[in-house]
Amino acid sequence: MSLVPVYRRRPSPLHAASAGATTALCVSLALVCALYDHPVVVAAVIVAVIGAALAAGVGSEIARAARLSVPLALLVTLINPLVYAEGNTLLIRGGSVLGHRFDITLEALAAGGLAGLRVAAFVMPFALFAACVDPDDLLRSLRRVSYRSALTAALATRLVPVLARDATRMGDAARCRPHPPGRLAVARAALSGALERAVDVAAALEVRGYSAGRRSARARRSLSRHDARVLAAAGAVALTAVFGKLAGAGSVQSYPRLEITLGPAELALSALFLVAAALPFAGRSARLGVAHA
Amino acid sequence: MPEHVVSATAFNYRYPEAQAPALRGLDLELEEGSFTVLAGSSGSGKSTLLRALCGLVPHFHGGDASGELTVGGLSVREHGPAELAAVCGTVFQDPESQVVMGGVRSELALALEHRGEPAAAVARAVEEVALAMGVAHLLDRRTETLSGGELQRVAIAAALAGRPALLLLDEPTSQLDPVAGDELIWLLRRLNEEWGTAVVLAEHRLERCLPAADRVVAIERGTVACDSSPADFLAWATAEGGALATPVARMFSLAGLGPVPATVKQARESLRATGLAAVGAPAVEALPEVGARLPWRRERRPTAALRARDLWLEIEDGPQVLAGVDLRVEPGERVALMGRNGAGKSTLLRLFKGLQEPTRGRLECAGEVALLLQNPGDYLVHDHAAEEAGEAALAAAGLAGRGEAHPRDLSGGERQRLALEVVLSGGPCAAVLLDEPTRGMDRPHKDALAQRIGELAAGGAAVIVATHDTEFAATFADRVVLMGPGTVIADGPPAEVLAGGWHFSTDVARTLGGAGGALTPEQGARLLARELVG
Repeated sequence: MSLVPVYRRRPSPLHAASAGATTALCVSLALVCALYDHPVVVAAVIVAVIGAALAAGVGSEIARAARLSVPLALLVTLINPLVYAEGNTLLIRGGSVLGHRFDITLEALAAGGLAGLRVAAFVMPFALFAACVDPDDLLRSLRRVSYRSALTAALATRLVPVLARDATRMGDAARCRPHPPGRLAVARAALSGALERAVDVAAALEVRGYSAGRRSARARRSLSRHDARVLAAAGAVALTAVFGKLAGAGSVQSYPRLEITLGPAELALSALFLVAAALPFAGRSARLGVAHA
Repeated sequence: MPEHVVSATAFNYRYPEAQAPALRGLDLELEEGSFTVLAGSSGSGKSTLLRALCGLVPHFHGGDASGELTVGGLSVREHGPAELAAVCGTVFQDPESQVVMGGVRSELALALEHRGEPAAAVARAVEEVALAMGVAHLLDRRTETLSGGELQRVAIAAALAGRPALLLLDEPTSQLDPVAGDELIWLLRRLNEEWGTAVVLAEHRLERCLPAADRVVAIERGTVACDSSPADFLAWATAEGGALATPVARMFSLAGLGPVPATVKQARESLRATGLAAVGAPAVEALPEVGARLPWRRERRPTAALRARDLWLEIEDGPQVLAGVDLRVEPGERVALMGRNGAGKSTLLRLFKGLQEPTRGRLECAGEVALLLQNPGDYLVHDHAAEEAGEAALAAAGLAGRGEAHPRDLSGGERQRLALEVVLSGGPCAAVLLDEPTRGMDRPHKDALAQRIGELAAGGAAVIVATHDTEFAATFADRVVLMGPGTVIADGPPAEVLAGGWHFSTDVARTLGGAGGALTPEQGARLLARELVG
């Protein structure tokens, strides 16, 4: 089972909204993680994403992605105190190597923890994006910018798992040989197999009229109620994040002493993010399939 | 009078750097709305002809073309694949390589979008073709979640979305199990009848598609060797040695009966007319019970070549792949392992080889186990055939003197033989396991493989072949093990398991109603000859 979430259509407002709208919401949540390192604000984003994922029916996909992010977050947490010796509260006095002191301070450890939390939080909106946004729909909307790039991206999305399966098969075949070939030989053969498959795909594209040079105009689609709600949520999260930052809310100072302000501004920011992320799912009009026979 | 959708006059084509032409002096005319089967042995030029009809030859592959070939009034020498795409849809062998988008709906829309159709027209065409091809329920699915049969249907629907006058298919059933393959052929016949789309289908399993065909064109050495109705084609094929004839046609020919029937139904009617109706009466015989004392079984030796005891394989959060399989295979036995897709055949072979571990149960092997997986090309990783195995192995594969050839330049049959010799090159094996070795293989190559299996068994190795091909199983096996979902549901000699079967049965057995346990054309002919004399 893949640790990276894979899009499956489900009956949820995030899946029903256009790819652009849901992408905007995910990007706005990621923007919060980029702008803030305040633990309460970042934790609010994590809770907001988990809530949205549960409401959209992709909780297990997000949980798998979260498991993927934990080792990364731990790594950041542990590395930070080793490379930053700043901070007033000394925990462990280390030695000196090539003129660099390896003292571990409480502030560096806490800053590492905050950075790790931020890394974990940053993964979450992208996992929500992967689980809820139809890549074909998104690529179709990008075709107006560059058709060939969008098609290349679509092909890559389609072929990466196919090539991974090819490589696994070749690995199994190598294990079946009495004298297994070296990894380099198998890798070369896998690469040449990938090129062969690429030629087949190019032939398939040709017989579908790829080089005809004509392209369909994109269908005009009016905003659905789900588009409107998801876009409103995305706008609310992004604007709140930007104005909050400009107003100086959610500031954290790590060195020389750890100072995390927790006042009404931070609590209000966190609450606003939670409410905005819940907006697409709130109320009767967010429900799908409300008609009764 | 119907117009010609394809017209070829003295058409020649040679691939770049090839010595001999792949198509030579080809003359052919195909009417609108016809269903044509292209027959021919491997390397005869069927695929090249299809690639010429869709414009890939010469525009994509290069090479030299001469003579005239028009499709829908467009000359393939002057018009490329993109222009010809408006006239003909093309479906290749491997569905994985021709489905290019992540979602089914996008895949069906792609060809129309390339033609610049308005969005509303694209949406309508996608909806209609999905309903016509029975893939409407798949429209919102991701392509990587589809089975091989579903993927092939989506590929055909994508080729048909623009309502082409001609549909070209290159062995579209070779990657499918028999049920999905039969469904596909009848789906093609339905769209040929209802939409009037001309179909040109290249296939090796002619018994599967001749009942649906109006016409058969046999290609040999790049030119048309026979162009006639299915019945006349079979008469020609049996007279030419029978390499392209169906099993039932070969049985009739060997028994000296005529005319040669094109379908099992026609064969039964012909037998009734000859007064051999009793032979055709169904023989109701119970399948041997699993685990029962089997008098036909070889005398058991102290050490089995392979033994599985209460073998289970359960996938975490997934299905039960094997559920308590018990199987003992003696040295020298030739076993056909049969069953529908997902029954656990391939998994069982992988467990015997040690590529996977069972969840529960015991596996015993008397020595080395050689396993040839489904794609022989996966075994060939070097630049020269000689680097894959020694001279002796090359000679055994029939490739003596071709050690300098790149493995990817070998034909499918040659790759198969070389890969088999590669897995056997480690010395004597207690067991040789082959997974679906006859996919896309013509009859002469299957006969050669059956002979090699016989040699391995005579050398003391137990040979297990997982296969859907009942005709091949009847040829090589002395035991058939039939698997249901994760378990063995029948185990016995081929005459018992295959003669009384409904789906797992040969065409000869179906024609004769299982009488006398006859499975192969030779056995059926002997039975018919006895009845005629009697």
